[in-house]
Amino acid sequence: MDQKQRSRLPDVFINFLKFGCFTFGGGWSIVAQIQKEYVEKKRWITDEELLDFTSVGRSIPGLMIGNASVLFGHHVAGIPGALLALLGIVLPPFAIMIAVTFIYGLVKDNAYVSYAMMGVRAAVVPIIISAMVKLFKAGMKDVFCYLIAIGGLALCLFTGISNVLIVVIGAVAGLIYMEVKERHAVS
Amino acid sequence: MLYLELFLSFVMIGFTSFGGMSMIPLINDEMLSHGWMTAQEVADIVAIAEMTPGPLGLNCATFAGMRTGGVMGAAAASVGVLLPSLTLCLIAAIFMERFKESKLMGHALYGIRPVCIGMIAAVVIQQSMANYAGTWLLGMSWHALIIGAVALVLLIVLKWSVPKTITVSAALGLLFGVLFG
Repeated sequence: MDQKQRSRLPDVFINFLKFGCFTFGGGWSIVAQIQKEYVEKKRWITDEELLDFTSVGRSIPGLMIGNASVLFGHHVAGIPGALLALLGIVLPPFAIMIAVTFIYGLVKDNAYVSYAMMGVRAAVVPIIISAMVKLFKAGMKDVFCYLIAIGGLALCLFTGISNVLIVVIGAVAGLIYMEVKERHAVS
Repeated sequence: MLYLELFLSFVMIGFTSFGGMSMIPLINDEMLSHGWMTAQEVADIVAIAEMTPGPLGLNCATFAGMRTGGVMGAAAASVGVLLPSLTLCLIAAIFMERFKESKLMGHALYGIRPVCIGMIAAVVIQQSMANYAGTWLLGMSWHALIIGAVALVLLIVLKWSVPKTITVSAALGLLFGVLFG
């Protein structure tokens, strides 16, 4: 691990602690938060790389947020980076959940809590959309990509096929398409 | 031993599921078969997990561990559910880094990236149906729709950060709730 990677560790840990406090809605907001902090602001990774972490993270067993954090952390700061990103992202929810078990009865049917949560849930879709808008250009290079994206969307919505299989189908389609395209270019 | 059982139980849940709601049936089975929770309590965790940040699987592990074995139990269950990230995913990360320059890897990712965009779009549609449900026009909630529109403007036009946007949305939810019930 080099000097550059080591110097990134505190930054990764502190930012992932922050991200961990605001991962609502199945955790897709982590993608929006990484995009803003590490693609736009610090430029440590590209939109393409973030898409890769998201899709690979989604297709490995376990929690997508944990997987995406490990993939990002390893990419920017090696194995220590992966461990610190994971620790950072899970500590806040872990601590909050422990606190909640004590006041569970108070929180569960509290009208004010449910009002505030309605607001938070209403923000989840815009957060995911904002991430998608920014990543759109990185994923969509030509007509083939649009077809694949629409196919992926349809498979997710209308079939019970697992995400792993959908990602594998995308990978195979990419391999075949690029092979055909290259042969075409040569001949 | 309880801690070990909690740990192993959540290792199994972690390795055989892919996060989110897909974990619920597994968690349900494990909790009921060990007698750690009732079906009602499992339903409660799902509701509580929605109110707290973090992935559903981790929230369930923490809550179930806490209920049965205190803070140590919560830690054992949480480490268990995170084990796939710590093992499989770390291997995948090392693998991806090593084959980063490979042509085949590049070709595969060319197909994987748009698939990911499609998956995100599916999440948008599924979450919209859940989060904007109500009793108003076409079965939607106008409170939620207004807050959603405000959040969209804050994020995309004004380029606000996620934490600030979530805080304002929670405040608006509270305001609408108090004013209009």
